[in-house]
Amino acid sequence: MKRRRIFPFAAAGVAVALGLAACGGSSNKSAPQQKSSAYNAAINGVVNPSSHKGGTLTFDLSSVPDSTDMGNTYYAFMWNTVRLYSRALVTYKSVPGAAGNTIMPDLATSLGQVSSDGLTWTYHLKPNIKFEDGTTVTSQDVKYAVERTYAKDVLPNGPSYFKLLLKDPSYPGPYKDKTPGKMGLTSITTPDASTIVFHLAKPFSEFDYVAALPQTAPVPPAKDKGANYQLHPVSTGPYMFQSYQPDKQFVLVKNPNWDPATDPNRKQLVNKFVFNLNVNADTIDQNLFHNFAQVDMAGTGVQAAGRARVLSNPALKANADDALSGFLWFTYINTKVKPLDNVHCRRAVEYAADKTAYQTAYGGPVAGGDIASTVMPPTVTGYQKFDLYEATTKPHGDVAKAKQELSACGHASGFSTTMAYRSDRPKEKATATAEQQALSRVGIKLTLQGYPSGKYFTDFAGVPNFVHSHNLGLDIGGWAPDWPTGYGFLYYITAGPAISPAGNTNIEELNDPAVNSMFDKAVKTTDTAARNAIWSQIDRRVMSDAVILPGVYAKSLLYRNPNLTNVSLQQYYAMYDYATLGLK
Amino acid sequence: MARAKRDGAGGAALAGDPSPVVNSAPPDGLLDVRDLRVHFPTDDGLVKAVDGVSFRLDRGRTLGIVGESGSGKSVTSLAILGLHHGTSARITGEIWLDGRELVSADPARVRQLRGNKMAMIFQDPLSSLHPYYSVGNQIIEAYRIHNDVSRQAARAHAVELLDRVGIPQAATRVDDYPHQFSGGMRQRAMIAMALSCDPELLIADEPTTALDVTVQAQILDLISDLQAEFGSAVIIITHDLGVVAELADDVLVMYGGKVVEYGTAEDVFDSPQHPYTWGLLGSMLRLDRERAERLIPIKGTPPSLINVPSGCAFHPRCPYAELNGGRSTDEVPELRAAAPGHLVACHLPLSERRRIWTAEIKPSLDGSGQAREAKEAP
Amino acid sequence: MLRCPGCPRAPGLRAMIPFIVRRLVITVFLLLVVSMITFAIFFLVPRLAGQNSYQLAVQYVGRNPTPAAVHAIERKLGFDQPLVVQYGRFVRGIVLGAHYDAGPDKTYCPPPCFGYSFRNQQPVWPMMLSDLPVTASLAFGAAVLWLVFGTAIGVLSALRRGTVFDRAAMGIALAGVSLPIFFTGLVALELFSFKWPIFPNVQYVGLTQNPLLWARNLILPWTTLAFLYAALYARLTRAGMLETMGEDYIRTARAKGLAERKVIVKHGLRAALTPIVTIFGMDLGLLLGGAVLTEFTFSMHGLGLFTVLAIQNNDLPEILGVVMLAAFFVVIANLIVDILYAVVDPRVRY
Repeated sequence: MKRRRIFPFAAAGVAVALGLAACGGSSNKSAPQQKSSAYNAAINGVVNPSSHKGGTLTFDLSSVPDSTDMGNTYYAFMWNTVRLYSRALVTYKSVPGAAGNTIMPDLATSLGQVSSDGLTWTYHLKPNIKFEDGTTVTSQDVKYAVERTYAKDVLPNGPSYFKLLLKDPSYPGPYKDKTPGKMGLTSITTPDASTIVFHLAKPFSEFDYVAALPQTAPVPPAKDKGANYQLHPVSTGPYMFQSYQPDKQFVLVKNPNWDPATDPNRKQLVNKFVFNLNVNADTIDQNLFHNFAQVDMAGTGVQAAGRARVLSNPALKANADDALSGFLWFTYINTKVKPLDNVHCRRAVEYAADKTAYQTAYGGPVAGGDIASTVMPPTVTGYQKFDLYEATTKPHGDVAKAKQELSACGHASGFSTTMAYRSDRPKEKATATAEQQALSRVGIKLTLQGYPSGKYFTDFAGVPNFVHSHNLGLDIGGWAPDWPTGYGFLYYITAGPAISPAGNTNIEELNDPAVNSMFDKAVKTTDTAARNAIWSQIDRRVMSDAVILPGVYAKSLLYRNPNLTNVSLQQYYAMYDYATLGLK
Repeated sequence: MARAKRDGAGGAALAGDPSPVVNSAPPDGLLDVRDLRVHFPTDDGLVKAVDGVSFRLDRGRTLGIVGESGSGKSVTSLAILGLHHGTSARITGEIWLDGRELVSADPARVRQLRGNKMAMIFQDPLSSLHPYYSVGNQIIEAYRIHNDVSRQAARAHAVELLDRVGIPQAATRVDDYPHQFSGGMRQRAMIAMALSCDPELLIADEPTTALDVTVQAQILDLISDLQAEFGSAVIIITHDLGVVAELADDVLVMYGGKVVEYGTAEDVFDSPQHPYTWGLLGSMLRLDRERAERLIPIKGTPPSLINVPSGCAFHPRCPYAELNGGRSTDEVPELRAAAPGHLVACHLPLSERRRIWTAEIKPSLDGSGQAREAKEAP
Repeated sequence: MLRCPGCPRAPGLRAMIPFIVRRLVITVFLLLVVSMITFAIFFLVPRLAGQNSYQLAVQYVGRNPTPAAVHAIERKLGFDQPLVVQYGRFVRGIVLGAHYDAGPDKTYCPPPCFGYSFRNQQPVWPMMLSDLPVTASLAFGAAVLWLVFGTAIGVLSALRRGTVFDRAAMGIALAGVSLPIFFTGLVALELFSFKWPIFPNVQYVGLTQNPLLWARNLILPWTTLAFLYAALYARLTRAGMLETMGEDYIRTARAKGLAERKVIVKHGLRAALTPIVTIFGMDLGLLLGGAVLTEFTFSMHGLGLFTVLAIQNNDLPEILGVVMLAAFFVVIANLIVDILYAVVDPRVRY
């Protein structure tokens, strides 16, 4: 499923702020030079390591969380934030670099123990983990938390993997559950208070990643308030809710019942976290520069005005990190719209496209990202670099080879098709315009068609019938994984069974038996290394099928407030790790 | 109450040759205006609203200032009250009020006299009274500006005044607002306000123009009564000769910012000397004329005060202008005595004027057909 | 009897009671109509464009619109009901309150219940109530500033008409009226909050929490908002004063020998301010519904920002709530202004 980041809107006065910033050029009073603070220092290392305690850490967000309820949220920054007050069965390591993609036990004593048929996954809970009120966490609390994800009328926002993978998909959710204790979900059993067993419908070797979702954070049934649970979720993490004014602010304070001995991953350094919501996006950047706030909660980087300032000011730049965000921006090449049903025509598109223009349309190397040649970005486990269509060696495209491919598919002088994009996304529009120009070099004439992003997948590009009837041979899009493996990244955009009549994410409608069988094999392969190798094979096969034209591995320029300690980029969340932060 | 006498006793007596130069004799009477000029510089030119006006007024007497719109009558009265202060007006000449010269005086001193020693009532009482304050409040304000008394005492005085000017139920009506009064009552209230400080000079600028005919007479009666009672000097400014005939002891006829005729009411009505005055008399509505000729209008339109006609300002409209051998277009006529106490500014010789009056104008004004036939006879 | 004999007095407020009652009844009808129109726009317009209730429900299912989730939300929010039923539920909520199925139990929101936000299932009325003090602080504070400065400058300009002062003041007023708030606000923020930390960290602090900080943090938004309105009021007051000072009753006041200052204030300004006061009432009423641009620029959580977010999120209960509240303020402001007019101008009769 597609996990979304927030892309805050820039205020209308950006130009002014830019102008004033340019003539301001102020030396930032709150940025003393640190030896360990350098551009991109947090990507592979920890900046300002410290065990100093105390202070209030302020986060600013330009919108609101979809929910603070761990079972009801689907944003990367929230999945990062909920770790402050909740612990799932397993979690991602809070270390910089590629190791951050590794799953490690959190509530559980170890990663899941899978049965030989692959259908049963067992976790044992660490003893004496307590909720914020002192009661001990039991396996039923974890089961109840998972049961809540079935109540889509009350908690509609989160992913639906459990319903998809477990045996009892018709479970109506705990609010309609008539069984005593509301334990009616048969596909999860709790033989004792510290053991929980998941019964899958089919083998799924990456179930640990599903267990890492915040939805397995325990919820005591007696304290569940349904839609209002978000106001004060019961904490198992180092912090707990003190107050929550919806749309305005919520405040976390230390949880006295969190035991650091059971939790090597997190830190409890500051006294208080304050989250300010609905703050103007440009103001957030200024707040960071002037230390009125320390973190931009959305984690997608500074705005255009802030970016100009950071890059031009060496003192500010030393506090910035240009990090891969885990997204790939790309274009689907539909296999059902003629003449793109012929692989050579598709390869012609791959060769003829101007990759530099793609990158420029998204904002260039710093703000946009790196030119991509694979479907899986480097942040995903199993990534291997390869380049079938000279994207990195000839970034302006290879007209000669494109023309060869055109001859091979019988359209030597080119062909016409329509390119769809999301009309309210200026970067996509710029990309469409640039590629229209690039492809016209070899005679491929594109008609550009914009659609509103809210309905892009539900009504337009995500509806195969619509795509066919409107000749949408090329469709611009983007993707980020729900977990950092080939499955998380590739399945929903390249697997045959993922094609659906509406809300389709396999927009190219690839139904390659080779790809499908590789997926089948991978979900049964429990050996991690072997499984990861398969992902790269799928990647290669998909690229060989030329059904996806990769654009950029997206990057965002993050600003690291110099008063923060223990700052590092968590590769999976693709932003600073919120569970380790402290203040000077 | 006895009316002010109209026989000229103590009337407007000017020294023999009233040249437009400042009179060096000491100021006489209550009000002595000497060669008053009020000029307004504008983008279009210099507006000579009042250009050399002189007259005198004693206590107990009434002066009627007559003229068309734009003749300078109101500007003159505003100048007396010092109400041009703060505007762009340039005022020269002298205004002597009871021995004190006002044009050169400190505006603060003039303000102390305003509403106090000299007061003014205006043409439209509805727009001249503040709509948001009760009539009593406005009278009280007028009184308390110049008198240090308590509100209660001022209020009692206001009630008394309203009663005196003939407003029934004055004690209740004192708290009413101007719009709650009828036109005539409003004007009475305005008069009451003007009299609140017992002024020695009352200027009434077109006091009846905005009122019904029946009410007019009442107001004029009232003014006359009050004058007799308080012994104040009154200036009535009007374009209506009928009003002047009712009240005035002396008449000042203005045209184009200048005085054209000045004398007692009898002189001006019985033997008018200026062609403009003849025209005014002819323009009066009279019931006793033949139906077809009730009105004899003056041809032409009032002069521009920026580009005043050369020579005699009236010459473009004067039927007798050609008879002067060109003097009317070249020379400004001076104000000269036609008879003791009767001044006229006209180039026509006195005898000529008398002849024209007796032979032509008077008969047509009397309305008998024979006079007309006599005029048309060779 | 009267405490201040001869002072302008209220024209028998008792006589105005039938008028006031009539207006209040009309207010209720008006608010009903407003709610109906909002309802219609929200539902009917997309329907005319071909959207069905399923597609409508998709917007509120977060990032994961599986058919099961969408259907569940569709039922939960009542989109599958006929419009009349939905509207009836809404009205019932306002009058009697409503129950909401939050999951394990039902919550009750007392009247006036504008429903629960589609987005985060929180009751709308308390959210609006907590936003109201912010907007009220912003509106009233700015109102005092613009009224005082705007009218003062307008009066001075009128009295010094044509002078350098007048030209300069009207020039600045033109700038104030022309420059959009999101420009002046951002400039103010950049200069006085970030570049020179005179007002660092402009965030709303409750009046009861910390009055000094409340005022200090509001100074920038107040001046930004007031600048716009003061400019308008300066021009209006100047025009009104010029007109008033040319009236006959001013001449009469001077003729009475009244000191010029009293003429200007007691006679001139008093009359010139009447239309100003009524416009002021209207402006304040509108502003109480939310100073959208100012709140957005300064990230103040008032009704204006609430409105923007409600519309962005297509959240009908929030939209309805804020629209009706804003309409209520406007209507009441109208009523107060009409009453004030009758008090101020004795010629006015109802």
